[in-house]
Amino acid sequence: MVTVDRAESAWRRWLPRAWSLALALLLLGPALGRGYVLSYDMVWVPDLALRGDFLGLASGLPRAVPSDAVVSVLDGLVPGAVLQKLVLLGCLVPGGIGAARLAPGDSLVGRLVAVSVYQWNPFVVERLLIGHWPVLLGYAVLPWVVVGARRWRTEASMPGALCLLVPLGSLSASAGVATAVVLLAFALARHRTRSNVTVLALVVAANAPWLVSGLLHASAASTDAAGADAFALNRDGALPGPVAALGLGGIWNTEVDLPSRDGVLAWLSLAFLLVLAIAGARAWIRRTGRRDAVAFGACWAVGYLLAVLTWLAPDLMGWLVVQVPGAGLFRDGARALVLCAPLLVSVVAQGAAEVWRRAPRAAVARTSLAAAIVVLPITLLPDAALGLSGRLRPATFPSAYQQAREVVSDQQRRDGDEAGDLLVLPLTSYRQPGWNHDHKVLDPMGRFLTPDYVASDRLVVSGVDLAGEDPRLVEVSRALAGSTPEARSRSLADLGIGVVVVEHDAPGDSPEVAGETLLDTTQLTVIRVAEPVPRTVPGGWIAGMTLAWVLYLAALLVGVVRISRAGLTARRRAGAKAMSG
Amino acid sequence: MGSILSTFGALVIGGIVASATVIGVVNAQTSPHGASPANVNQPIIQYGSTN
Repeated sequence: MVTVDRAESAWRRWLPRAWSLALALLLLGPALGRGYVLSYDMVWVPDLALRGDFLGLASGLPRAVPSDAVVSVLDGLVPGAVLQKLVLLGCLVPGGIGAARLAPGDSLVGRLVAVSVYQWNPFVVERLLIGHWPVLLGYAVLPWVVVGARRWRTEASMPGALCLLVPLGSLSASAGVATAVVLLAFALARHRTRSNVTVLALVVAANAPWLVSGLLHASAASTDAAGADAFALNRDGALPGPVAALGLGGIWNTEVDLPSRDGVLAWLSLAFLLVLAIAGARAWIRRTGRRDAVAFGACWAVGYLLAVLTWLAPDLMGWLVVQVPGAGLFRDGARALVLCAPLLVSVVAQGAAEVWRRAPRAAVARTSLAAAIVVLPITLLPDAALGLSGRLRPATFPSAYQQAREVVSDQQRRDGDEAGDLLVLPLTSYRQPGWNHDHKVLDPMGRFLTPDYVASDRLVVSGVDLAGEDPRLVEVSRALAGSTPEARSRSLADLGIGVVVVEHDAPGDSPEVAGETLLDTTQLTVIRVAEPVPRTVPGGWIAGMTLAWVLYLAALLVGVVRISRAGLTARRRAGAKAMSG
Repeated sequence: MGSILSTFGALVIGGIVASATVIGVVNAQTSPHGASPANVNQPIIQYGSTN
């Protein structure tokens, strides 16, 4: 009997994990194949070289700090293509399994529904397609942060795992803010000053790289007010923005909406969530307790209100992003919906458990109904399957990219600190190369090569031109407006540019620049600019960023030490128990 | 009688959801969804659209 109970217990424990993995494999499908998935802002290359800009010392705002630095360290251990697949799975599976922890523990159906809802929804699909993988990693970490932070508050002892999870959930600025909000909402406790200070210290350490870099750039960088309108919460197919947001949909870019969201399925999907949420609300409040219910509710309210504010008052948001440093973080309204996910999934899972409790007694009928509830999120968003119906497909970089990397790296080796930075032309942000299945992607050239680089950060949304944020780019544009190739080359050298790569298959103008041609192929030309003046980074910036990285690494180190200690203690206890038994 | 009806209803719901899932996923894979190729003569590739 004991064996049967154990077997059943193991089965109940493993089924949500297996379901989560199965859903991730179904969702990603061909994206897990050989090559690199390059989609909008998702840019992965074979070997991302670590450089000063990735550490937060670039001239523009830290848009990919610390994610680029972390990837460039990790892909020294694992090939870039494999690392990307692991990260894509990591964006989904841990989130699903963690979501099951927010469901009623005694309801297998509730836990399976939590996995389905957390992994298979418009937020995940839209962010995958637009390539915001650090946001999705933060999303995957959130349920575990909820669980860990609750433990921290109730047991007055910091779980070591949080020291790894919070930095992992803070690989981008917006993900870091969301992770911090959830941690603070669940971990802060009254009359526990020491514990609260530690919570705040963890938040600061985990977010230090982008936070310090952002502060260092605050005076020089600017954000275009028009971006607030362009990136506001938007309709999700058939659903108006604020309605779509209830089901975690409503990204600004309609290009990444799936066709199934245009019809009745979008409404049915929302109805499914709302019916289960209503069915589970009362029992959820009883199970969760007042303190945690307030934390869940506060996170949901902050996320939903921020998202709807961008839809309701884009002009106000536009004013805020210009006037208030850091407010630009919130201009992508739907990104804030990540904060709504823990409450949504927890209440919906409770609703599924309540429906299951009232299900007919016959085993076949109960199984049939359970399967229906668990699978319904997939039924209502069917085109998310198999790499979002083929929209996420790996590509192989042309050989010219590798050739360019070799000549540029050789040049860097020869010239050392005098090599100068890289300029990528034409000065346009996005590419849509045939070798990437004609899918849009942020120009991967800068990341593929090894030096610090200057590339356009100007965005065009629905025909509206949004100014870039990098002041160095303004100077480079001015240099490129010079009257002769020689004059342009001299001006670029004065700005620290030592190499220019011209991509011939990219739309946009590329003014001729004088210099030694290092490589010339049908796809690209690499030109060496003579005598670049090395760009100087203020000493204060280097000191500030060093401190930020020390804090970030210290948080990780504390996590590793605490987890190792906890593991050792558990093994000793198990050993002592076995001896006494 | 009630329990027979609810059992039957649950089976029907399960069957419908299972069939709809398979049909939906298969249909989505066979629908055209290719991106239009870029034109090097166009001045810029848009990040996205809000329309």
